[in-house]
Amino acid sequence: MKSRFEEFHPLVSFIFFVLALSLFILMIHPVFLLLGLIFILIINITYRSIEQLRQWAAFMIISSLFIFLLNPLFNERGRHVLFVFHQHRITAESLVYGGMSALSLVVIMAMFVSYNKIMTPNKLLFLFSKILPQFAVLLMLTLRFIPLMKRRLDEISSIQLSKGISVLHGPLNKRVKTGLLYVQVLLTYSLEEAIQTADSMKAREYGKGLRSSYEYFKFKKRDGLALVYLLLFYLLILSGRFNGFGHLTVYPIMESWQLGTGDIRIMVFYCLFLGFPLLIELGGYFRWRILN
Amino acid sequence: MAYIELKNVSFSYPDANQPAIHNLSLQVEKGQFIVLFGASGSGKSTLLRLLKKEIMPHGELSGEILLDGGSIENQAVNTGFVFQDPENQVVADNVLHEMVFGLENIGLSTNEMRSRIAEMVHYFDAENLLNRDTHELSGGMKQQINLASVLLMQPDILLLDEPTAQLDPVSAREFLNMLVHLNEEFGMTIILAEHRLEEIFLLADSIVLMDKGEVKVQGETRQVLENLWRNPPFNKYVPSIPSLYLSLGGKEKLPLSVKEGRSWTQTVEIAKKDRTGWAEITEEILNAQNIYFQYQKDDGYILKELNLSIRKGDFYALLGGNGSGKSTLLKLLAGVLKPERGKLIFRGKQLKAWKNKSLAAEIGYLPQNPKLFFIQDTVEKEIQDTLEQWGLKNEHEVAPLLEKLGINHLRHNHPYDLSGGELQKAALACLLLRKPEILLLDEPTKGLDPLSKDHLADILCKLNCEGVSILMSTHDVEFAARYASKCGMMFQGSITSESEPDAFFSGNFFYTTMVQRLFRSRSDQQIVTLEEAVELCRLRR
Repeated sequence: MKSRFEEFHPLVSFIFFVLALSLFILMIHPVFLLLGLIFILIINITYRSIEQLRQWAAFMIISSLFIFLLNPLFNERGRHVLFVFHQHRITAESLVYGGMSALSLVVIMAMFVSYNKIMTPNKLLFLFSKILPQFAVLLMLTLRFIPLMKRRLDEISSIQLSKGISVLHGPLNKRVKTGLLYVQVLLTYSLEEAIQTADSMKAREYGKGLRSSYEYFKFKKRDGLALVYLLLFYLLILSGRFNGFGHLTVYPIMESWQLGTGDIRIMVFYCLFLGFPLLIELGGYFRWRILN
Repeated sequence: MAYIELKNVSFSYPDANQPAIHNLSLQVEKGQFIVLFGASGSGKSTLLRLLKKEIMPHGELSGEILLDGGSIENQAVNTGFVFQDPENQVVADNVLHEMVFGLENIGLSTNEMRSRIAEMVHYFDAENLLNRDTHELSGGMKQQINLASVLLMQPDILLLDEPTAQLDPVSAREFLNMLVHLNEEFGMTIILAEHRLEEIFLLADSIVLMDKGEVKVQGETRQVLENLWRNPPFNKYVPSIPSLYLSLGGKEKLPLSVKEGRSWTQTVEIAKKDRTGWAEITEEILNAQNIYFQYQKDDGYILKELNLSIRKGDFYALLGGNGSGKSTLLKLLAGVLKPERGKLIFRGKQLKAWKNKSLAAEIGYLPQNPKLFFIQDTVEKEIQDTLEQWGLKNEHEVAPLLEKLGINHLRHNHPYDLSGGELQKAALACLLLRKPEILLLDEPTKGLDPLSKDHLADILCKLNCEGVSILMSTHDVEFAARYASKCGMMFQGSITSESEPDAFFSGNFFYTTMVQRLFRSRSDQQIVTLEEAVELCRLRR
């Protein structure tokens, strides 16, 4: 079943993810980042991409740990010296800053997992075809070609295996030579076959005149409303951010973590923005319950 | 004035010794259905391509090509073209993208595209395919999508270059029927080049035999067939029902279809067939027991509960629809893929216990796409490579073998410059050098014209007599009926029926020969091949 957010016009989903990305870079504050992480996790669960997230988990943890530890090692700035290690000052500021960068990285990576789930190649293609029609054709051909080449390479290696030639057995230099031969066969074969694809494109009038593009998605009223909603809250958050709210200053003097009223207000907007997909799903769910 | 008119057209490719089209004149009226046939390399494809200016080949052209009374260069006649290979003419990764591709190119508005697609999808009954990925479709479906996306451009003329060459009999029939509908209901002018002649001769208004770039014979189907019959070797092109009629010396109106043939067979006497004794049962060399296989975990099983046994000296033909798992089975038997469950036993030893190299020495596997068989850039090098790899000393056998296969003159060519039949023979030569015990051939008759097919059959039968066992998958029912010693039907991942050709084809409705269909109601014994029929039947005086 498709969720309601996935049924929005690709522009809406795309804008949501781009703006969310900018928020995770701008709003460097532990509370905001933690909130962001929670929202992104819930979004991942809602759109059934938790499995993909788990595949990325190891990479995410390792790279964030790396950043978390590296910052205090190279950065000695800050007033609160925790301890001195081989004449190297480890400060609370550097730890906090490293931690926040690491957290921001995790949130962004987790966001890309759900982005991949929701922005299918088809939607991306549609968005691009509006701006760069020629590029869209190229992208479409590439989208078909990469898996096609993979399938062909599998085919080549299985056929060669039946001849007793394999890249898995024998001395290394022979294996390398065979591997290169495979690639050579793959390329000649693909070029040869691509001539036919090119003919088929030409036979369907490709390159004759101006190309139009098929609109797979209609921009409806609710897409417009969703855009207004997103942009409104984004601008509110942004104006708050430029007034110094929603951001933890670490250097030169670390602020208190305490949130002021201005911060709280921005936080509410922040939640309303990131919670948009969830609000949509909840709204849909309740409407369905009432109707049934 | 004819709708399409070629006047003394000659065409030669750059650097070619002989012209591909030589002084050819042809007239096609509006709304006609024309079938072009002839050996591969006789210029059918070139002729079709000359009729569409966008894909006109480069080379030297003389003579005049007129469309609708004007020169083809400045005539805006909308021509659609469907190519042979279902896979390569696909542009997009998704069916809907594929369908709109041409419409986008001519700059239609989305609304117009929507209405055209709605109509076409409905006509093709392809609603459930729209959001599928193109590579998931079977060859038959792909070819229908290709036809649909060409038809969406609303062509006046439809050119098709062997569109059913890679389809199974049922899909091919469906595809051809669709063409007939288009021709009859919309008056679309259709020119079709084809090897699969049994069915389409019926449908055509006029048929054209091409030979060495010239029109050899042309005209109404019956006249042309009678003419061909008197001119060997072209009598090979005459389909089996008229062939039977003519070889029995029939003098009246030539029957073309099973329907016309049936009434005529009422006047035929059929002798009793001598039951030749059962062939002796030889040792089993390849055995598959309860095989399960799937490519990906969630894809479902391609093969399940499959059992197969090949005995020494068998010539086994495996039939079945596109995507029924024939190719997969052959790969498993060749040891290229491993079964998920079940046992594969080759000469009393489990297949996985064999070393890859010693297995490859015993089993010769000819893939469906022989292009990928060649890893070197000339036939000669490939052969040398094979000799070297296997440490073979029988270099003196190479030339006679190539001679026997009729490809000795092509030794120094790049494999991709060979025609489909030649390519197959070249790959076969490499296989035969290592003297395999069993040959696994994946659709060896695909895209071959009748003459090359006969040639291939001769080679295979000779090998078979020398004791090589053969297992081949094929869509070619007539070929299987004539040469195979045993036939099997693949369906839903297992072999659902298996027996000698006679018994096998008698139970089938689609997967059976024209001759069998003809005599289906007539006799209590089974007549399956043309040769049998010619031998047994006599005209009643």
